[in-house]
Amino acid sequence: MTTKHVNRLLLIVALAVAYVGVPLLFGGNAYVLGLIVAALTIAGVAVAWALLGNLGGMVSFGHAAFFGVGSYTSAVLAMKLGVPVFAAMLLGGVGAAVSSIAMLPALRLRGPYFALAILAYAHIFQILATEMTPVTGGAGGLLSIPRFPAVFGVDFGEKTGGYLIILTIIVLSGLAYDAVRRSSWGLALKAMHDTEVATRVVGVPSTHLKAAMLALSAFITGVVGAFNAHFISFLEPDYAFSSGWTVLPIAAAIFGGYRTVWGPVVGALAIYLLDQLLFKPIMPHGHQMVLGVLLCAMILFSPGGLMPALRRRAAKEARHAHA
Amino acid sequence: MLTLEGVQVNFGGVQALKSASFSVGEGESIGLVGPNGAGKTTLFNVISGVVRPTGGRLDFRGASLLRLPEWKRARLGIGRSFQIPRPLGHCTVRENLIVAQRFGAGKKDPKRIDEILDLLNLREKADRDATTELALTEHKALEVGKALATEPSLLLLDEVLAGLETNSKRAFMERLAVVRERYRLAMVIIEHDIPTIAALCPRVLVLNFGQIIADGTPDAVFRDPEVIRSYTGETTL
Repeated sequence: MTTKHVNRLLLIVALAVAYVGVPLLFGGNAYVLGLIVAALTIAGVAVAWALLGNLGGMVSFGHAAFFGVGSYTSAVLAMKLGVPVFAAMLLGGVGAAVSSIAMLPALRLRGPYFALAILAYAHIFQILATEMTPVTGGAGGLLSIPRFPAVFGVDFGEKTGGYLIILTIIVLSGLAYDAVRRSSWGLALKAMHDTEVATRVVGVPSTHLKAAMLALSAFITGVVGAFNAHFISFLEPDYAFSSGWTVLPIAAAIFGGYRTVWGPVVGALAIYLLDQLLFKPIMPHGHQMVLGVLLCAMILFSPGGLMPALRRRAAKEARHAHA
Repeated sequence: MLTLEGVQVNFGGVQALKSASFSVGEGESIGLVGPNGAGKTTLFNVISGVVRPTGGRLDFRGASLLRLPEWKRARLGIGRSFQIPRPLGHCTVRENLIVAQRFGAGKKDPKRIDEILDLLNLREKADRDATTELALTEHKALEVGKALATEPSLLLLDEVLAGLETNSKRAFMERLAVVRERYRLAMVIIEHDIPTIAALCPRVLVLNFGQIIADGTPDAVFRDPEVIRSYTGETTL
C-alpha cells in the first residue's frame, strides 16, 4: 500500500469518526459538543489563515476582519432582508472576499509590513461595524440572529446540527485548499515565496494569484464567521472583530503544522480542547499560560508542528518494523 | 520583431542606459557584449519588464511593451534567463518547467517538457530539487529550460556560459545551437567570451556606458577602434 493510499484511508476513517462517531459519542453532552464546535470554528479560520500563509506567502494579523465582515453580512442579510440562513452564510463568505479587495494595495508589501497593514484594515472594519448603527446595531450589536433551520428532519439549529455544518465547512475548505495546492497554481504560489521575479518572467501573474488566495482565505473565514453568528445568535463588534479570531487560529495553525492542510484543524482541536477540558479545570485562573508554554515547546522542538512530527514518528516506526 | 529606440534608464543619479537603440529580426542571433557596468543586464531587464525605462520606445511585433508587466511579456513570447540562476523555490526541475509552460505558454504538454529536459541534458535530474541538488551547468541549463517552456519567439540569455569550464562551455554552446534550430528562435546572448560570441552569433552589438557603440559582424565589430578602446583604453586588442 502506497503513502497515497494510506493517507486516503486515514482521511476516510477520520471523516467516518467525525460524521458518525462524534455525534454518537457526544450528541447527548451539549457542553463537550459546544466545545468541539468552538474548536472547529477556530479550526476553520486556522485553515484559511494557513492557506494564505502557506500558498500566498502572506502572514496575516487581520483575519478577524474577514470573520467579522462574514458574520455581520450574513446576520444582516438574514435579519433585514429575509435571506435564507444557509444562503446568507455563503453570502457572508462572499462579503468577506469582497472586503479583501480593500486590502489589495497591501499585496505589494512583504513580511511585517503586510502583517501590519492588514491589522490596520481589520480595525477599520471594526470601526465601520460600530459606527453603522442603523445596519449593524452599533456597539450594542445584533440580538436574535436567525438560527439554522431544520432540513430533512435534522435540526441544524441544535448543537449536533451546528457541529455537522462547521465540520462540513472545514472538510470542504480543506479539500479546496488541497486542490489548489496540488494544481499548477499551487506550484507557482509555492515558487513565488522566494523567487517572485523569476516566476513573473515565466508568465506567472503573481499579484493576481496572491489576490486570489487572499479572496479564498477571506471567503472561508467569512463563511466560518457567518456560521458562528447564526450558531450563537448574537453579534457585537468587539466580539466579531476580536483579535482572538486572529491570534487563536494562528496559534492553532502553528501548533498543528501550518504547512500541512489538516495540521491547523488538528492544532485547533488539540489546543482548545486541552485548554478547556484539561488545563482549565486544574487551573481555573491562568490556564492559558500552560497553553503558551505548550506552544513554545512545540515551536522549539518541532517547528513544523504536530502533524509533521507525527508523520516523522510514524515513518520511523515503519522503518523499525521493516528492519 | 523587437525594436528599441532611445531607451533610457536612470537609477537615482546613475544613468544605466543613456539611449539604447537597435532592433532584432525574426530568428536572428545577436551577441551583446560590453565592459562590466555597460548596462547589458539592465537592457534585458527593460525588455523583459523587470525594470521600467525612464524614456524611449520599446516595441515587440508592432505593439508597445512599455505598459506591460513581466508576465504578459513572457506570454507574448519573450523568454529570458538570469545571470545568477534563479530556480523556482521549493520546486523540482520538472516542476520549474511545468510552471513556466502552464503560465507562459498557457498549456500542459508533458511531451514538450520531456523534449526540453532531453535537449538540455536534464532528464536525469528532472525530479531533483532545483534549488539544492543541481550543479552550476545544470542550473544554467534550467534557466534556459524555463524560458523555453514558455515557448518564446525571442530568447534573452544573460551570461549562461559564464563560470563554465571549457568542455562544459563547448557542450552548452552545441546545445544552444540545437535549441535555436529546433525552435527557430531569435536570441540575444550576453557573453564576455569573444570566440564564443563569434561562433554563435553572426551579429554583435557592443554596449558601453548605456549606449550601443557598434553593431555588425563579429569580425567588423571586434576590429572597431572604439570597441577596442571601450574594453582596454587602447586602440588595438
